[in-house]
Amino acid sequence: MTDYVMEAKNVYKSYCIKGEEKEESKIVEAVKDVSLQIRKGDIKLIFGPSGSGKSTFLRCMAMLDIPDKGEIYLGDECLTAKGVDLNKARARIGFVFQHIYLFRHLTALGNVELALRQVLKLPKAEARKRAMDALAEVKITECATKYPSQMSGGQAQRVGIARAIARNPDIILLDEPTSALDPELTGEVIDTLRDLAKEGTTMLIVSHEMPFAKEVAEEMIFYDEGHVVETGPPSLFFNAPNTDRAKQFMTRIINRTTRE
Amino acid sequence: MDVWQQLIFLLGGVPATLSISIISFLIGIAVGLPLAFIRVYEKEISFVVDAYEKLWRGIPEIVLMLFFFFGLGPYFPFPFGSAFFVACFVLGLRSAANQSLIYRGAIHGVGDEQMIAGISVGFSKWSAIRHIMVPQVFTYSTPGLGSEYALLIKDSAYAYVLGSISEMMKRITDLRYMAGDVIGPYVLGAILYIALTFPIAFALDRWGNKRKKKIGL
Repeated sequence: MTDYVMEAKNVYKSYCIKGEEKEESKIVEAVKDVSLQIRKGDIKLIFGPSGSGKSTFLRCMAMLDIPDKGEIYLGDECLTAKGVDLNKARARIGFVFQHIYLFRHLTALGNVELALRQVLKLPKAEARKRAMDALAEVKITECATKYPSQMSGGQAQRVGIARAIARNPDIILLDEPTSALDPELTGEVIDTLRDLAKEGTTMLIVSHEMPFAKEVAEEMIFYDEGHVVETGPPSLFFNAPNTDRAKQFMTRIINRTTRE
Repeated sequence: MDVWQQLIFLLGGVPATLSISIISFLIGIAVGLPLAFIRVYEKEISFVVDAYEKLWRGIPEIVLMLFFFFGLGPYFPFPFGSAFFVACFVLGLRSAANQSLIYRGAIHGVGDEQMIAGISVGFSKWSAIRHIMVPQVFTYSTPGLGSEYALLIKDSAYAYVLGSISEMMKRITDLRYMAGDVIGPYVLGAILYIALTFPIAFALDRWGNKRKKKIGL
């Protein structure tokens, strides 16, 4: 038995950006030899410049992108091994997208309920109850019968979080859950995440919400150019990071936050 | 024969015309929808879909109908000996090729993100397609599906060449000889064809627009 809920071992992933001409295509090494362990109840936060590959790494963790090399473990199960039932594994991982991606043809309740009914095959009444519980947990039951197009970005993202937690996943991966929202709407999503943190939810979050990070994260991971540059508790990064790059980045991001 | 008698005689062809068009339309959905998803999501075998589309869209339906009915019918009386079957079979499979194109555009319009979101909650590729893509793809396809239906109503007239189906085109021709009038039957027939195509195409379009607004497509 492993102690880890999830683990990445020496993961590599690159992809090709196609240009108009063949010469303009280039290969981006988004993830280069990244390893990471997450224990039950851990909250870890990945941050770093945009385009550095953080999201690609997170998608590799959920096997939404298949790593080129390396291993991903969910508990004892190696997801990168051949013949693994990835759909079953993904049902145990909650994923929250930057651009939310709610199912547009379903109401909030329908969005949360769908996987409970069709993936976990729960009976109708139980699925309904668990979906309503999940919506209550993110405090958005008033939107239950609304369609995504009728909600604000903050409401939609909270439904996105409800959709991810309703299955009681082992871990929730959140890919910049607030960065596509209007600034005044990020607060409600952050509050929701804070509530989840209090309940001991295991989370790996890509985010630049520094005050939130300081408050809930056990460990922060500074990620740049496809690999982990520095890891440590928030106090390290907010006081004196060891690497110059992390120092520069923190200065810039803290200045920005205070300006706002 | 006065106009009303002529009209009543032509109306007798409506059931056959409608059933050929509707059955073909349904065959088109049943075959075209999977083809479109195979074309987009099963890259290794998408060439089969390409070939299918080119074949069925490239040959005139009148050639296909005559071939299946008079060519294959004598050797395979079941099912190609039935004119009604051949009409639905040819128009249905041709419509599947058209509908596959319509749905393919809709799949791209709905967007890959919806698929990824479906995969992320634990769906397999094909159950995500069924539960998440198909309902949205239908909504997205509505103007195209409306004109496809109108096309089928009109193309059902080709079934006339098979001789034995009492659809509208057959009735128009019969009426020509019965009434000894060339203009009346064609004008009346034209009006009936329009009456059969536009209301449904229009209703489908309206339903689609309303639904699209609701789900923000």
